[in-house]
Amino acid sequence: MNSAKINIEKENSMAKANAIPNFRGLWLLLKPIRWRLILAFFIAAIGATASIVPFIAIAEIAQMLLVSEVNTEGNIWIWGWIAAGALLLRLVCVFVAGAITHFADTSFQLLVRRRIAAHLGRVRLGWFTARTSGSIKKSVSDDVMHMHHLVAHTGLEIVDGVVVPVVTLVYLFSIDWAMSLFVMLPLLAGIGLYAVQIAKIRPKMADTPTAMSEINGTAIEFVQGISVVKTFGQAGRAYRKFLDATQRFMALMSGVMGGTLRSAALAEVVLAPLASLVIITAAGAVLSGMGQLDPVAVIPFVLLGVGVTSPLMALFFSATATSQAAEASERVLALLDTKTLPEPKTPSVPANETIVLENVRFSYDGQHAALDGVDLWLEPGTTTALVGRSGSGKTTIAKLIPRFWDPDEGKITLGGVDLRDIPTSELYRHVSFVFQDIQLLSTSVAENIRLARPEATIAEVEQAARAAQIHDRILELPRGYDSVIGEDALFSGGEAQRISIARALLADAPILVLDEATAFADPESEALIQDALSALAAGRTLLVIAHRLSTIQGADQIAVVDRGRIVERGTHGHLLAQGGLYAQLWWKHECSMSWHPEVHHGLDSTKEVKS
Amino acid sequence: MIRRLLRVMGDDAPVLRRLITLTVVCAILQGVAFSLLVPLVQALLEGDFQQLWLWIGVEAAILAGFGILNYRTKMLGLTSSMALTAHLWQRLGDHISKLPLGWFNAEKVGSVSRLTSSGVFSVTGFPTQMLGTLVNAFVTPAVVIVLMFLFEWRLALVALIAAPIVWGAYRGTVAIVDYVDLRTHSANTRTANRIIEFAQTQPILRAFGRVSKGYKLLDEALVAQRKADNSMITWGGAIGDGMFRLTVQGAFTAILLSGIALGVGSSIGATELIALLILATRFVQPLMDGAAAGGGVRTVRNNLNRMDHIFHTKPLSETADAGQATLGDPAVSFEAVRFGYDKREILHDITFTAQARTMTALVGPSGAGKTTITRLVARFWDISSGVVKVAGVDVRDMTAEQLMSQLSFVFQDVYLFSGTIRENVLMARPDATEEELKNAIRLARVDEIANRLAHGLDTQVGEGGSALSGGERQRVSIARAILKDAPIVLLDEATAALDAENEALVQEALHALTTDRTLIVVAHRLQTIAAADQIIFLEQGNIVEWGTHQKLIKADGRYADFWRERSRSLGWRLGSRAKIQE
Repeated sequence: MNSAKINIEKENSMAKANAIPNFRGLWLLLKPIRWRLILAFFIAAIGATASIVPFIAIAEIAQMLLVSEVNTEGNIWIWGWIAAGALLLRLVCVFVAGAITHFADTSFQLLVRRRIAAHLGRVRLGWFTARTSGSIKKSVSDDVMHMHHLVAHTGLEIVDGVVVPVVTLVYLFSIDWAMSLFVMLPLLAGIGLYAVQIAKIRPKMADTPTAMSEINGTAIEFVQGISVVKTFGQAGRAYRKFLDATQRFMALMSGVMGGTLRSAALAEVVLAPLASLVIITAAGAVLSGMGQLDPVAVIPFVLLGVGVTSPLMALFFSATATSQAAEASERVLALLDTKTLPEPKTPSVPANETIVLENVRFSYDGQHAALDGVDLWLEPGTTTALVGRSGSGKTTIAKLIPRFWDPDEGKITLGGVDLRDIPTSELYRHVSFVFQDIQLLSTSVAENIRLARPEATIAEVEQAARAAQIHDRILELPRGYDSVIGEDALFSGGEAQRISIARALLADAPILVLDEATAFADPESEALIQDALSALAAGRTLLVIAHRLSTIQGADQIAVVDRGRIVERGTHGHLLAQGGLYAQLWWKHECSMSWHPEVHHGLDSTKEVKS
Repeated sequence: MIRRLLRVMGDDAPVLRRLITLTVVCAILQGVAFSLLVPLVQALLEGDFQQLWLWIGVEAAILAGFGILNYRTKMLGLTSSMALTAHLWQRLGDHISKLPLGWFNAEKVGSVSRLTSSGVFSVTGFPTQMLGTLVNAFVTPAVVIVLMFLFEWRLALVALIAAPIVWGAYRGTVAIVDYVDLRTHSANTRTANRIIEFAQTQPILRAFGRVSKGYKLLDEALVAQRKADNSMITWGGAIGDGMFRLTVQGAFTAILLSGIALGVGSSIGATELIALLILATRFVQPLMDGAAAGGGVRTVRNNLNRMDHIFHTKPLSETADAGQATLGDPAVSFEAVRFGYDKREILHDITFTAQARTMTALVGPSGAGKTTITRLVARFWDISSGVVKVAGVDVRDMTAEQLMSQLSFVFQDVYLFSGTIRENVLMARPDATEEELKNAIRLARVDEIANRLAHGLDTQVGEGGSALSGGERQRVSIARAILKDAPIVLLDEATAALDAENEALVQEALHALTTDRTLIVVAHRLQTIAAADQIIFLEQGNIVEWGTHQKLIKADGRYADFWRERSRSLGWRLGSRAKIQE
């Protein structure tokens, strides 16, 4: 499972290193808001064109002031108001286009998040155990949020970056082609220089994700481990390890950044308005000096040629945000592409409550068998205990029954029907489980207990809580059953465990898979949890993952699991008499129950350590 | 904000100062270059080629100067960004390693790790990415206004009047966006928490049929987030940003129209007017760019605030003559100790002594203060009043190293460093010999783990020890404690209960650790409690009973009740046959 986690991280960093945005997938994802985006682009294009008009107006005014003599005043004012109107139009267009993309983006975010949530509700449960909840949060929340730039900004920036230079150049070419070529000079040079820079930086950037994750890793370790480190007086060492990592990172970064500094600076200067200004005025001076051009005709070039690079600069500046957004969209698409559990082709309803495992084989990683041919038969109303060393496969067997995973080979049937042919909702009407990790939701206590049966009355909820030995504790809360978990309902581990037992009681499924360790999860309230579990177990088909053998002595069937197989099977007395693995485990267990810390005065084996 | 950055930079502050100076010079150069357009265009329109080439020459010279300075600025930006990173990391690291142990809880660890990685990067991006844009946004237009006065004071006056209005609109935008941002942020946090919950509780959500119909709580949070985002767009975008853009465009329009009025009225020369209008167009872009950088600046500011919050957390004090006192027998004593986390007092007047080489069991219901007592011995926090003595010396008069040399503890939260098992154990005493290491490993039964693994002791444990099970991590931490060989052991027995499967092995390991030491144990197992030299029974932060097991049972008070209740749970059975037998 851990190696799976590492692999996923690796895949992620690999994806990062060579992110080529999957535009087709993105386009499909954008389908619901596509028309809104296209409308916004159209409006943005009008706005981009309007942004050029004031410059043209000033150029026209210059023309009129210097050249034409007749009827100037009125015309000048007309152009003045056209400029003012164009400015306003530009503003309105930027505004409306921006509002459309932004509002479209929030609907899009909601839509995508809903889709992801619905999708995640259908992937294999095992998928979740291979990931941290933090990484899932990152996909659903952060990645979708990071796509914001792509949805709300990039398109508009591209429209600006294309329309402004194109319209400008068309206008300028209509005035004088030679001057227009000079306007294009810095534009082309700038693009060329940026291309060189990107080509240069790309191979070096390959190492940065690794360095970045190393930095993140050591920072987390340093902070998380600080309390341990301090107790050993080794704070300095861990700190140094962190500082070393930071130094390595900085050396790498200054190499990457430093190497391209010159070309980046050059590109910036070439694309700066100042550079265009010098080139255009010099060209204008030469051409008009040669009498090829009226000096007044230089004005539009000074006005418009200087600004032609700025939308492109904006595109370059937002390149990082855009590529981050593209990477985020890759991850979202990959997530939505995760295989889901197939819904049964021929849904069937189980006839009874007998569970049978037939020659079940299962592997977490596809290489090492976790279960290597397991056969097990659970009669209704009986208790079966799974016993074995850690890593033997007993937990895996238990988790296959609520379909955390599906077997690779063989099958599990409930009342004669393969689990895979039972609709999920139907399956969970038959099977419920109590595992060690307690899962309460941040909502009211009553809602938590009611989870399985939202229609249950408060009387039924209270009855379940009473049986689970938690009713009195709930009444002590400020708002009783309406107290909210994490706000005014703060439970200890044992109390939370009893809430989850109340939930299972209310669900009232005939088959219960139970991790026996839950009974000892909280030494403070062991007895109460045990009472609750006894109430829950009564009258059900029970499958118990056993840790303390004394608890399950009375089981109808004890299955001893070793290396993914069931090696012994029988009752306690039967297995003990057999003198096999179970007997060994039993004696070991007996031994541990009699231990207590002791203070020896005098000679002892640990003395050797001191010398 | 720049002042705060300078403070953080310490010795390297001059680098940042030089960078700021250079950036301002660059912006001024640009402003001057734009202003010189006026004589240049005039010369062009009047056909004065000598003048024209002169001004073009000047512009080219400025461009060259700008190019060189821009390159220098980029270099300095990189250097100061690197220096800033180093300083932030060092200061955060220094401060964090001095904070009281009690400060570190799961939530803090998470937020501080984020702050040390992505938080630091966001701040250090400021000199390279944001500074230039911000300076340009305000310095270049200011220079243009000033130089405009040289050419035409009336138009300059219009620009000058517009300036404070533009500035006011900018501040207003920032304030509005900040406010809305705060609201969106809390919606974000709520959504994030719901998503985490959704992922973590998948098994139960599915088991109880709550996924197929859509998980209501998550969906509500998602809808609430969209609402918050939409109000962010309306307020921050439309009102805030819109107000700013409108003001900037309005200022430009005012200059344009008043220029035309002056030109039409012939109170200004045609060539001059054209030149000035060209100049005015250079006004708008830097301001717009500056406004666009606002979001980034906000992130930087938020991260700086978070860092300040950490810097303002007081580290544990050490008296001047700390470490001078000679340590006595390894006993632990509490004298009239009072302690509380915030204002709520948790321990009231606790007095007891754990004699050297005896076992003291702390017993009582949850929330009684048992764990707090063990943590105060290790000085996780300082107490409100009273004295905690270890080996006869007040813990506040000891250096952290001195105190820790007396203590080993095995608490619930075991943390291993990514590295091998061997490295993790050796951390307790890096100079231990191979034999001492082997011995600790054998006593803590870590050898049993190592034997199962392909690389034995040299197996990587993964980040936080994730490659090992809880019980296995526990045993490695016990090996660490054994190797450390401190005379006083603090033990939380709930730890041992965590892993029923490896219980026997964990117990053996603990046995090796506790032999011949002063032991204070938060006890749960009845055998442990009964064997203690003294039992301290706590309830709601008070010692209600104390003595040996026999004495307390005879007294038939709270402890005796507790004992009976716990004894009952020992014989618990599960399963149908057992029920029939009973």
